[in-house]
Amino acid sequence: MLRYLASRLGQSLLLLLIVSFIGFAVLNLAPGGPLSQFALSPGMTQEQIDKIASQMGLDRPLPVQYLDWFSHLVVGDWGTSYRDGQPVLHVIGSHLFATLLLMGTATVISVSLGSTIGIFSALKRGSTFDYTMTVLAMIALSIPTFWFGLIAIYVFSLSLGWLPAGNMYTVGDGSVLDYLRHLIMPAVVLALVDVAIWSRYMRTSTLNVINQDFVRTARAKGLTRRRVLLKHVVGNSLVPMITLAGLQLPMVLGGALVTETVFTWPGMGRLFLDSLGYSDYPVVMGLLMASALLVLIGNLAADLIVALIDPRIRLD
Amino acid sequence: MTDKKKTGHLNRRSALTLMGAAGLIGPSMIGRDRAFAANADATGQLVLAFSQEPTVFNPLMPHIEVDEGVYYAVFDTLFDFDPDGEFFPILAAEVPTVANGGISEDGLSWTLKLKEGVTWHDGTPFTAEDVKFSLELTMDPDFRSFRSTGYKFMRNITVVSDTELTWEMSEPFAPMAAILASTYIIPKHAFEGVEDKNSAPFNNAPIGTGPFKFKNRMAGDHIELEANADYHMDGPFLKTLIIKYVPDLNVMYTQFKSGDIDVIGLQYITPDHLAEAETLAGKVVTVAGTATFESIGLNMTRPQFQDLAVRKALYAALDKTSIIDALYYGVPTPTETYMPQQSYYYNDSLPKHEFDLEKAKALLDEAGWVPGSDGIREKDGVRLEFSNSTTAGNHLREQAQQFIQQTFAEIGVKMEIKNFPPAVMWGDYWMNSEFDSVVVGLNTLAGADPDTSDYFMSTMSPTLGGAGQNTFAYQNPKVDELLVKGASSFVPEERKAIYEEMQAVIREDLPFLPVFQYAVIKGWKDDVTGPAPNVNNRIDTWNVRDWKRG
Amino acid sequence: MTAATTDPAARRPFLKSRALRRFLNHRLALIGLVMVLTLTAACFIGPHLLPYDELYIDLRARFAPPGTGAHIFGTDPLGRDIAARLFHAGQISMAVGFAVMIIATGIGSVVGVVSGYYGGKVSAVLMRIVDAFLSFPSVFLLLALAAFIQPGPVMIALIISATSWMEVARIVEAEVKSLRNQDFVQAAHMLGLSKRWIMFRELLPNAIGPIIVAATLTVARAILLEAYISFLGYGIQPPLPSWGNMLNGAQQYLASAPWLAIVPGLAITIAVTGFNFIGDGLRDAFDSRTQGH
Repeated sequence: MLRYLASRLGQSLLLLLIVSFIGFAVLNLAPGGPLSQFALSPGMTQEQIDKIASQMGLDRPLPVQYLDWFSHLVVGDWGTSYRDGQPVLHVIGSHLFATLLLMGTATVISVSLGSTIGIFSALKRGSTFDYTMTVLAMIALSIPTFWFGLIAIYVFSLSLGWLPAGNMYTVGDGSVLDYLRHLIMPAVVLALVDVAIWSRYMRTSTLNVINQDFVRTARAKGLTRRRVLLKHVVGNSLVPMITLAGLQLPMVLGGALVTETVFTWPGMGRLFLDSLGYSDYPVVMGLLMASALLVLIGNLAADLIVALIDPRIRLD
Repeated sequence: MTDKKKTGHLNRRSALTLMGAAGLIGPSMIGRDRAFAANADATGQLVLAFSQEPTVFNPLMPHIEVDEGVYYAVFDTLFDFDPDGEFFPILAAEVPTVANGGISEDGLSWTLKLKEGVTWHDGTPFTAEDVKFSLELTMDPDFRSFRSTGYKFMRNITVVSDTELTWEMSEPFAPMAAILASTYIIPKHAFEGVEDKNSAPFNNAPIGTGPFKFKNRMAGDHIELEANADYHMDGPFLKTLIIKYVPDLNVMYTQFKSGDIDVIGLQYITPDHLAEAETLAGKVVTVAGTATFESIGLNMTRPQFQDLAVRKALYAALDKTSIIDALYYGVPTPTETYMPQQSYYYNDSLPKHEFDLEKAKALLDEAGWVPGSDGIREKDGVRLEFSNSTTAGNHLREQAQQFIQQTFAEIGVKMEIKNFPPAVMWGDYWMNSEFDSVVVGLNTLAGADPDTSDYFMSTMSPTLGGAGQNTFAYQNPKVDELLVKGASSFVPEERKAIYEEMQAVIREDLPFLPVFQYAVIKGWKDDVTGPAPNVNNRIDTWNVRDWKRG
Repeated sequence: MTAATTDPAARRPFLKSRALRRFLNHRLALIGLVMVLTLTAACFIGPHLLPYDELYIDLRARFAPPGTGAHIFGTDPLGRDIAARLFHAGQISMAVGFAVMIIATGIGSVVGVVSGYYGGKVSAVLMRIVDAFLSFPSVFLLLALAAFIQPGPVMIALIISATSWMEVARIVEAEVKSLRNQDFVQAAHMLGLSKRWIMFRELLPNAIGPIIVAATLTVARAILLEAYISFLGYGIQPPLPSWGNMLNGAQQYLASAPWLAIVPGLAITIAVTGFNFIGDGLRDAFDSRTQGH
């Protein structure tokens, strides 16, 4: 177990190294830079821009900049934002809650709804319900999330006026109900794709379990269909789903970014776009690293949980 | 300013008039400065929305327009411009002029008298040391300062007493007063013992002398400011000012309509919403000119653009009226120059542009540009084909660009659209004149001062070895001469003549094809009083101390 | 070289295979095929039937709702016919989709087959790179790339490919690894065939089923990604239309001209759904385990 953990951790660190290298190269090799946002300020001159660039160390060779950034990173210093001078970790941290709230809500919706659909599809395999759900899931996977968001805004905000078109809460209100009103549309839009994925996988997983011996035995022992379903089938089909949840993380995170841009949600996706717009490289790099880290931890945690609850899997 | 729609052409004499002429601080100014009024009656909350997020709170560091929205609330400048382009004192007891002895006749010695009894938000008294510190920090080579123009002439800043300081200038530089008007004063004591002033704790917990104290910031969402009860001028009248970040202009407008936002700020109401906005109950909506002008900038080093006939023909083929009326819903004002029409220095007798495709064709024919086999004109192996660039994602501008492309094609000119993300567009591509032509909105002035040397002086082009922002690579000895003369003169009437002549020369040369002077659509709830357009300031909160509710 | 092959089913031409029959019996796959073919036909034939040029600007006709005169889908903020733009955009968006499919499948196959064939350190290094790319949310990586390039169909196809090749690489690697030690490979070795021949002529064709499935899904994915980055303004630039950049700016007019958003969005959904249906059918067709379902 420990050996497995150590090797997984080693691999993950190597991955992070590669991620950091790719990210840094992509950002810094490109033309333009963080100072171009000041170019159109009245009174700005090339001379002044050169001076600021040299003060910020932007005129150093790229490998030097990378090593400098990386050597700070390994001791836990993620650098400071070019925009507000705050430590990158602080900047990311201050946007984390909004993203987690959105992702969390969406995940709750997609897991509960997706699993239910998946289980019923499996139990009624070949039925009209199963078939309809299959088709719907594929369509859901094909709708561009941002466009679905736009249409939702058009219907529920602009036409019906039921829900706010953006933001996380109303300034000066901020009650739970107010948060909910703002949360519901982006969360449902974000959950759409995942409901589809979860229902598909849950269907497969349930089918696998139903056909296994212990379920047949349980039925043979005379347990009611309902008890078998709840006790044996659902529990066992959910185990592989935990791994799936880990693997889905990059997608949910990417989806959150898309959703946040449409609904002006003040989370990490919004921060990412803003930081890109201002060429705030330390924050962009921080977000790339943080998301990679989050994904790796998610995968690792999923594997561990599965190992802990399913004695049949050994991690060596 | 409470008219439903007021185009805000305040054609009074403006800008720097105080520098030489005596006694121009009229009685109207005195009311602004009822020092130490009781401010215990600040009430209510106001939500002001911006579509960009203010993030830089040290006003002397590199920042963008929206950051200044916070500075005017938290900090004070020594003095500032009112909407008529006239100075009024803030931290200064009076605005230094030649007449009151603040500036010597030759413009080389300055004396600045400060108000007494002003305190910082933390209770520390404000003194001349703070002003000296702020000015010197701007010049500190280790400090990442926003500006250098003007400051490089400043010498020997001396504190005479707590409320008086003096300095010398190495050469007379008329725009200095305008530069000082946008220099916010920060507290010396907040930087004591701070090794790296670029990362002082102050930068995220600003302390000012302004009408509002910085209370907290929720990153990515809003900043909360609270009334400074000890403010040294009239006001503030609001207990809480919330600066809200709404990254999408449609959401911002929707929230303004629904009442979640009290004042709609920077980037404002989009032109396509103007007609609807004007009918909203309980809202004041006004169109206000800004100092930014839209133009098609030409890279004068390109062979196509070196022929004046080509530039004239392109200008004649520019259907300004359709662009302004259809695409921009008639909001901006057509212009022939870079100078805002509200300015004292605006030349209103420049030749008027006429859209005339036949004339454009004739101009090109005459100059020997004849259509080739594919219909594109050429002369001596140079084809009338060039790229046009701007910020990718600026919808209205992209629409205008495509429209212009179509009209230019009609006179045998091929314009290819080549847009870039902002970080690329306004980086070296712009600064080093790597473009053929651009669509750009520029504000070439410093406050209300008419000096534009950085943009039009031939020695200021980075691609020709200069250090300014003459990215059109425009070179005209006459313009150079006028710019030098204008910057060293302190007499407004004299300067007016100089800059009017310069506008005429540039209008004839057409290094850029002027399209329009920007105007923005501002809006606020009708129980709010105070917001007032000011073409001499970049942002709405220039007078936030006066804002009231009810 | 068929003599060296031990798995005749996989080497039989697709057109005669059982897989094709199964695909043709798959109702969704056929619907998908019809959707994609119809849309493709519309995009290539449509422009010739319309009385409008997709680039012609007519400011007097701006914001005409669908059904105004011959503007079946209405006009955009510059008065251009949306139907004409939609069809041209379709050509471009689908071209990008197919280009990405070819590039990404190519890269993925090469990486996968090399990694699977050599194994050991080569595989470890290559597959870690695959993992690294997979651990970015691809939208993040894509936007980071797109923010700094000169956007055009070719560049957009390239950067989408750069974030889309990993699935294929994984699939091919797994497949090749399992085939590496089989008899026909050993036989090829003994015949003295070059490594390159073995990798690309012997091993790769055996993985063709899963590759085709992945490739089809890649088209769907690429169309979605192109739409998203163009929607944000980082993608294909006007006046060249793409489904994504037709949506760019549509948000601004959502209240007054909703058709600007609805029409291109529907086109994207139909195209992507079509490719996903086909992909699903292909998967069932190639997957022997689902036989009999």
